[in-house]
This record gives sequence, structure tokens and C-alpha cells, in this order.
Amino acid sequence: MSGNDTPETETDGGTGIVPPDDETPTWSERKERTQGLSRLTYEYFERARREDQDLRQESSYVERDVLGFPAWPHEMIRNLALTSFFVGMIVFLSATLPPEMMPPANSSSTPAVILPDWYLYWSFGLLKLGPLNPELALLGGQKLMADRTYGVLANLVIVGAITIVPFLNKGAARRPVEQPFWASVGVFGVIFAFTIAVLSVKNLVPMGSHLLFDLTFLLPFVGGFISYAILKSMREGYMFTLNRRYYRLRPPK
Amino acid sequence: MSLEKKDEHDHKGWMEERDLTALEERYLTLLMWLDKRLRLVDYLELLEDLYYKVNMQMPKSHTEQYGLDNKFWYWYPLYALGSFSTIAYLVAAISGALLGFYYAPAAAGATGDPTVAFNSVTAIMQDLNFGYMLRSIHRWSAQVMTAAVFLHMLRVYFTGAYKEPRELNWIIGIVLISLTMVFGYSGYLLPWNQLSYWAGQIGVEMALSIPLAGEWTAQLLFGGFTLTQATLQRMYILHVFFLPFIVTGLIAVHIGIVWMQGIAEPH
Repeated sequence: MSGNDTPETETDGGTGIVPPDDETPTWSERKERTQGLSRLTYEYFERARREDQDLRQESSYVERDVLGFPAWPHEMIRNLALTSFFVGMIVFLSATLPPEMMPPANSSSTPAVILPDWYLYWSFGLLKLGPLNPELALLGGQKLMADRTYGVLANLVIVGAITIVPFLNKGAARRPVEQPFWASVGVFGVIFAFTIAVLSVKNLVPMGSHLLFDLTFLLPFVGGFISYAILKSMREGYMFTLNRRYYRLRPPK
Repeated sequence: MSLEKKDEHDHKGWMEERDLTALEERYLTLLMWLDKRLRLVDYLELLEDLYYKVNMQMPKSHTEQYGLDNKFWYWYPLYALGSFSTIAYLVAAISGALLGFYYAPAAAGATGDPTVAFNSVTAIMQDLNFGYMLRSIHRWSAQVMTAAVFLHMLRVYFTGAYKEPRELNWIIGIVLISLTMVFGYSGYLLPWNQLSYWAGQIGVEMALSIPLAGEWTAQLLFGGFTLTQATLQRMYILHVFFLPFIVTGLIAVHIGIVWMQGIAEPH
């Protein structure tokens, strides 16, 4: 309280609200937190902002010196055209291929074919992996878990594996040609999604169930190996072109 | 000339000494009225920033900077899959809301007699004007959304777009694709026809076979170990309440991150 030596005198009418004086922190002082995590956060953000600024100044990144291609109307009209085309496609599909009428639910008559929608076929097929569930000698030929538990866990394993891909495959390579292994893993996955979907409807496939089961796991490997071979040889050509370009620019002495 | 200090915040005086048209004057009065109450000036910077981001000074994209346009165009459809699935999601949301006016999630059981839910779907398809089309559109937009989402994931995988700064968005994408499938599954159960019932049966068995938490999961999601009215009602609430909020929020975050990080183009 400036100029007031008797602090017991209330000037705020009991509200606790007083006009700012010399000791009241300014807004920038308030922003510069003095302690703890908030101080740390503040310091980090200041550093990050400075770093960002320095990076911008150093970079040779080309910015336009004229107005860019404007979002309105150019981009928006293009997007609108694409959107209406796409919605039109949905409407066309629904007009030509409407959903069928089914009989009402009946718990006492099991239909011959039980299927989820097509996008769950892979998951449905994974539930039928019983033959792969190992019988452990340790447990006296018992299975560690029931077949259906095994199937549900297989779903989780596959989703988990897809989730951690970014942490397994690092580096700057982007094109399939640059990373034949991971591209062929992808091809393996796509083919497996189809074969496991076929396995889920094995009673509809005119083929021995053992052969079908073997093919389910063989075909993805075959596809994966073939795409690996192709991409590897493509990479030779790719590197050849890159090298030729390099040596054209900088001929060897 | 008076020595009296001028009031710097005398906006009214400042406005009067300027030569303004009637429109400008009204606009300024309104602006000042609002600013006095809502302190718009604090948000001005945000708006300005947004304006410039939307309208001008787009940094050159990777393709432009390295002159890849001639090679890139035939990949472009693959790069539109994400927005296609968003559009399909919007179409499904609108048609679904309209279907919701006529659908009732009530099923007394599964005896083979038509239930209320089944009858309401039948009424939508047979009695309601354009009802058949409405359900058809809802179904197809859901199918198209799922297909687009799967293809979108493949595109992201094969162009390595999930790498370094974008791992988090990849994981959000996995969550979104899973939720999309749950969306589809819960919708599949709603008409309460034979396929719905038996698909639900498989779902209950899957839930029950989860180690430790199986019975709890079955209770939570399906309202019991057999399919009853509770199952249908839970699937309905999942389909029209929980999932729409969660999925819409996650899509917003997903697209927001893409906006911030930019699209990963192949090198």
C-alpha cells in the first residue's frame, strides 16, 4: 500500500479488491511464472518459440512473394465439385442397390450362413484359427486357452502390430521402392486380409478345408516374397537412375 | 487550446471527428458496443491469424517446390480418400438422423415374430415416402466410409506417411478405423433381423471369451449373456449417442493434426 502506513485501515470496503500499486505484478510479470511446473512450461515455450524463429530464419524454404492460390473461391469450388460428385456416387449406388429385406430375428432357427458385414470378415476369420492354437506338452497336451479366446486375442495382436508400425519402421524412406521389406509386409497384410476373409466362409468355398487353411497362410507369404523380389530389382533400377543423374551432374575426374 | 489531457479512450469523440458514412458509423457503433462487453480486441489477433492462414501466403508445397506436379497428379485420388470418408461420414450422419425420426429400438425377444424394431424398419422401407432410399443411402454411405477408411490406411502405409512426426496421428487413425467398425457393427444389429441376431450372438461370444474381463464386457456392451431388449437398446445408444460424439471429436483432432503437420507427400 503506497503512502499508507496503517495496513489495518481497510480501503477496499472488505472486497479484497484494491487498485494496482507498485507491488502489484504487471501482466508480463504474472505471465512469467516464478516457480514450479508453470515456470518450466513458460521457459520451455519461450525456448521453443525462439527455436522456431531461428529455424525459420535459417531455412531456405521458399515462401511465395505473391498471394497464394486462395482458399475461396478456387479451392472451395473444386472441393464442392468433388464432394457433389462423391455424394452423387453414394446416391447412385443406393438407388441401384438397395438393402434387402430379411426375416425377423429368431433364436430357434440358425441360418445356414452367418456373416457380419464385409469389413469384419477378417476379424471373423481370425476367430477360426483354432487349429493354430498350440497344445502344450507342459500342460499335458492341454491348450493354454480356449480356441475362441485364441481367436479374440489374434484380433488384438493384429491391431496392436499395425499400431506400432511407426515405431518399428523409422527413417526417411517413403516410397515402396526405397523400403522393399516394409512394402512387402504391407502386401502380405493385404493378401492375408483377403485369405482370412475367405477362411471365415469356408463352408461356402468349394475346396478341402485343410487345403484352404494352408492356402490362407501360404498365399500371403507368396505374395510378400514376389513383391519383395520385384521391389528389390526395381530398386536396382531406381538407384541406377539416381546414380546416373548424380554422375551427370558431377562427372568423375 | 485547452491543456486538459485528452481521454485516449474516448472512442465516441474519435468516431465523431472522423468523416464516416452511415454504414461505417453503424458498424463502428455496433463493434464498440460489442467490444465494450466482450472485449473482442483480445480475439482479434486470432481472427487475423486465421484470415491470413485461410487466404494467402500458403508456403510452397513439397510437390511445387520440387516440381513433382507432373508425377504427382495420378496419385491424387489416393490422397482424397481421407476426405471422401469424412464426406461419407457426414452423409451417414444426416441420413441417420432422419432415420432416427422413424426408428424405435424395441424388441421383446427373438421368437421369429416381427418385433417393434423390425416393424419400424419395415415401415421405413415400405410405407415412408423415400424411406427405402433413405435407408439405402445410410447403408451405402456407411459402406463407402468404411471402404474409404481402409483404402486410406493402405495409402498411408504404402507411402510411409505414418513416419516421424505423424506416429500419433497413425495411432488415432487405428482407433478411428476400429470405432468405424464398431459403428458398423452396432448399426448392423439395429434392424433386429436374422443376420443382426446371429451377428450379435457372435459378438456376445467374442466378448465372453476375453480372459478375466469377459463377463463384465458382455454385461457392459450387450446387457447380458443372451440377446434381449437390453442388447438392442445398448447398441442403439452406442450407435446414436456415444460413437457419434467420440468419432466426430476424434475426426476433428485427426484432421486438425493433418492441418498442422501438413500432408506427407512421397519424396
